[in-house]
Amino acid sequence: MARAIKTVAIAGGGITAWSAAAALKRRIRALEVVVISSAPPPDALTDRISNTLPSIAEFHSDIGLSDEDTIVHAGSSIRAGTTFRGWAAGLPDYTHAYGAYGVPVGGVPFHQLWLRDYHSRGQPFDSFSPVAVRGSQVGHGLRLSIPTYRQLMHDYSLHLGVAERGGQIADVGIRGSDGFIEALVLEGGQRVEADLFIDCTGPAARVRSSVGGPFEQWNRWLLCDRVIIGAGEAYPESPLLDEVIATEAGWDWLSPGRSATEAGSVFSSAHRAESGGATFIRQGRLAEPWLRNCVAIGDAAVMVEPLEWTNLHLAHSQIDRLVAMMPDAQIAPIEVAEYNRQCNAEADRIRDFLCMHYLTARRGEPFWRDAAAVEPPPSLAHSLSLFSERGRLPYYEEETFARDSWLAVLFGHGFRPRRIDPLADAVPPEQVERALASHMGQPGDRFSSGQPSYRGSFLQMGQNAQ
Amino acid sequence: MAVVAVGKPAEICVSAFCFGKRDVREQPRLNVVVVGGGTAGWMTAAALGKLLPTRCNVTLVESEAIGIVGVGEATLPHIRGFNDRLGIDEAEFMAATRATFKLGIEFQDWARLGDSYIHPFGTFGSGQGDVPFHQYWCRLRKEGATMSALGDYSMAVTMANMNRFARPDPDPARIESTFNYAYQFDATLFAPFLRGIAETLGASRIEGRIVNVELDGESGDIAALQLEDGRRIEGDLFVDCSGFVSLLMGKALGEPFEDWSHWLPCDRAVAMPCRTETAVTPYTSAIAMPAGWRWRIPLQHRTGNGYVYSSSFISDDDARSALVGAVEGDGIAEPRVLRFKAGRRTRSWVRNCVAVGLSSGFLEPLESTSIYLIQAAISGLVELFPEKVISPVDRNEFNRLIDMEYDRIRDFLILHYHATERADAPFWDYVRTMSVPDTLQEKLELFRRRGRVVKYREGVFLDASWVAVYIGQRVIPEGHDIRADLPPLDVLARSAETLRADISAKAALMSDHRSHIEAYCPMAVAA
Repeated sequence: MARAIKTVAIAGGGITAWSAAAALKRRIRALEVVVISSAPPPDALTDRISNTLPSIAEFHSDIGLSDEDTIVHAGSSIRAGTTFRGWAAGLPDYTHAYGAYGVPVGGVPFHQLWLRDYHSRGQPFDSFSPVAVRGSQVGHGLRLSIPTYRQLMHDYSLHLGVAERGGQIADVGIRGSDGFIEALVLEGGQRVEADLFIDCTGPAARVRSSVGGPFEQWNRWLLCDRVIIGAGEAYPESPLLDEVIATEAGWDWLSPGRSATEAGSVFSSAHRAESGGATFIRQGRLAEPWLRNCVAIGDAAVMVEPLEWTNLHLAHSQIDRLVAMMPDAQIAPIEVAEYNRQCNAEADRIRDFLCMHYLTARRGEPFWRDAAAVEPPPSLAHSLSLFSERGRLPYYEEETFARDSWLAVLFGHGFRPRRIDPLADAVPPEQVERALASHMGQPGDRFSSGQPSYRGSFLQMGQNAQ
Repeated sequence: MAVVAVGKPAEICVSAFCFGKRDVREQPRLNVVVVGGGTAGWMTAAALGKLLPTRCNVTLVESEAIGIVGVGEATLPHIRGFNDRLGIDEAEFMAATRATFKLGIEFQDWARLGDSYIHPFGTFGSGQGDVPFHQYWCRLRKEGATMSALGDYSMAVTMANMNRFARPDPDPARIESTFNYAYQFDATLFAPFLRGIAETLGASRIEGRIVNVELDGESGDIAALQLEDGRRIEGDLFVDCSGFVSLLMGKALGEPFEDWSHWLPCDRAVAMPCRTETAVTPYTSAIAMPAGWRWRIPLQHRTGNGYVYSSSFISDDDARSALVGAVEGDGIAEPRVLRFKAGRRTRSWVRNCVAVGLSSGFLEPLESTSIYLIQAAISGLVELFPEKVISPVDRNEFNRLIDMEYDRIRDFLILHYHATERADAPFWDYVRTMSVPDTLQEKLELFRRRGRVVKYREGVFLDASWVAVYIGQRVIPEGHDIRADLPPLDVLARSAETLRADISAKAALMSDHRSHIEAYCPMAVAA
């Protein structure tokens, strides 16, 4: 058996790199971790998008950070989901909140009972969402204040014993015998050697690209290729929900944070004239995020638009997997293959989830017609065909979004199965009412706080976008 | 509105109906005809009657002249979920089927003669924390610490070794929560027990022998069954529970059989129950034999035995004498020989016919999966229960799910044979040196490397089961998880020892398996 991996060099200076550094150092203490830090480029969405999914809490607790550190001191705010506006013409806006919608009754999933008993009475599915019903368990992610959070991860990493080296990478030294990376050569000529190299430099994948291997584009399925990110005033009473508003050729978002507000646009340059200032994104993933002794994490591995805020989630998940599967210095291909299999399955399923948003959205503009006409990847086609038949969604390995997340969007777009599952017959409507009343308060009893409309302020901020 | 074609255009056209009008017509009940009154048949009839009372009328056709196989006496914990959904009272069920509790399966002589390990329905260690317990165990062993067998750090294994039983503690923080259990029962009594339930739920039973299966000339669907006495039984959906003969799926519809006997060469079993002379163990035993293996399943009133063998390596007569010579007590029935072939039908749902149980395929009972596979097919059928015009979407999904179950169990079974050092008999030479499916080869290499178990969230056997069998079969990882190096060796050794002692002390406080049964679910004394 080869010796253990001892040294790890991480390239990148955004929250992805520092999160990887903190997690590796904290969870595998024997490692020597060095970060070759430089400012993240504009297209590194994982380093720039402030919205995160509920999984971030577990990442923090695994590396020993408390809510006090990551929320109170880092200026984050709590978010419980997203309101989608204008995605389906003629239908109301809808909320995708994290957590369970309704309760299963008699072994029958709630959405089947909703289809039967509540849909026809005009009660939308999201009136049973965890943010709409008192007493339900609300899953929550964070809206990060990026500069503060980056500082936190940086300081925490150094506190744990991670070393930092500033400087641009001038060259990547490859060993002739086996194609492994030997060292990163910095502009001043210094060499940084390591057993394992982690690339968190964003889509350009400064280090990983020198090892080679194909990139699989997703532009057949996800048509957007431009992002604009802007900033605006803080919302001290930061609301629980963010907004994602369909536009002529894509969508805009508004993420009203307690320390700052982030807003932005995502669109297809083929469907909308560019006004300048937009960043190009090429959606897709590396066929092998890990090759030899180099692992791409974050945008270097998977580039995906921020719809549903999966960017940092993917990075965290890759980091977790790397920690759990850390090989020895020989880095056997069989172990790398298993890592890649899991990462790819996860990324592809997120691609499916996002593609589903466009396929089932209903708007008349050319962009939306084109986006709805794409032929979905086979795994998504399978999900949609099963769903269309009887509201069943097949389970896939490495699935990020729970069934109710899929349902919130599908039902929000008015996409419903042809029939109700016959299993629902065994549960009388009175039993459903009773179950809802006892578990969750009154059905449809919305929080009264009401969501303010951000539309006006958003437009203002859009003008200030870089 | 744009029409979105998903998959094959003929199969589905998303927008056309999904955004359009709901199909709100009252669905007519389907006439479901279940063929065969064994375990599979009555489980199906009872489940359909209970879970889909408004969607189907169930008729079960069976012939008393045809016996049932009924050797699937040992089960997996999943059966508890099945019984719960049917509202079955556990004590009543156990008394009726003369059942005992089962905490796992003991394997004797598999990797080497003299070896023994238990595959428990439970985890190793306390089941908490980032790093699986077996990683620490591997490190400690490698670094020279004196370690007990991996099973001594498992609650279920320790209870099994001490012949104890208690229900799992609901508090996940306690070590007594880290196991599950199943039953060992008399399968010939389970079918009649379920028949009572199914008939109460409205299933009707027809006694008769099927002489012809009538196919619709146009569609090729099954139209009706003709019985010996001239009766004709029509149906919308036919469930083939006819066992090995596969009357509908194999014979009438001609669905091909994928033969796996090059990987699983056992093709016969000779079975003979005997009096119990030793302990009523809360586990099933699988004892390796020169040309296969032998099961021992202790019930309340007797012990089931059988020798599963490959006819290429031993004759029926020799297998029979080997079994009679090996069992612990006097036989209470003549040994009888069963023939089978490992593999499955290419599809389990074809046209309007669903195969449940042995009619859909066979995997030897080494890991007690027969009833589990019946259950998987029934859940699939219930969840994908069709309308009068059967949608290919439902059918394909059912077949995908069943294939996955079969394939994963297949790999797990092959592992037991292939990962052996035995070279004392031609049978063991064959299985040790045969080539195995790529899916299994990868799993094996990954475990050998660093003790990693290929991760599935779905599928019957989870991580701990694979770990138990790998280690039990002497597939010892060369390396281990780097995180297992973190605690100092002596601290780790001390905590492992504390854990072992704690488990052992907790198990010692539990009641003896036999007394637990006598207090809880004694069988009725025969009149």
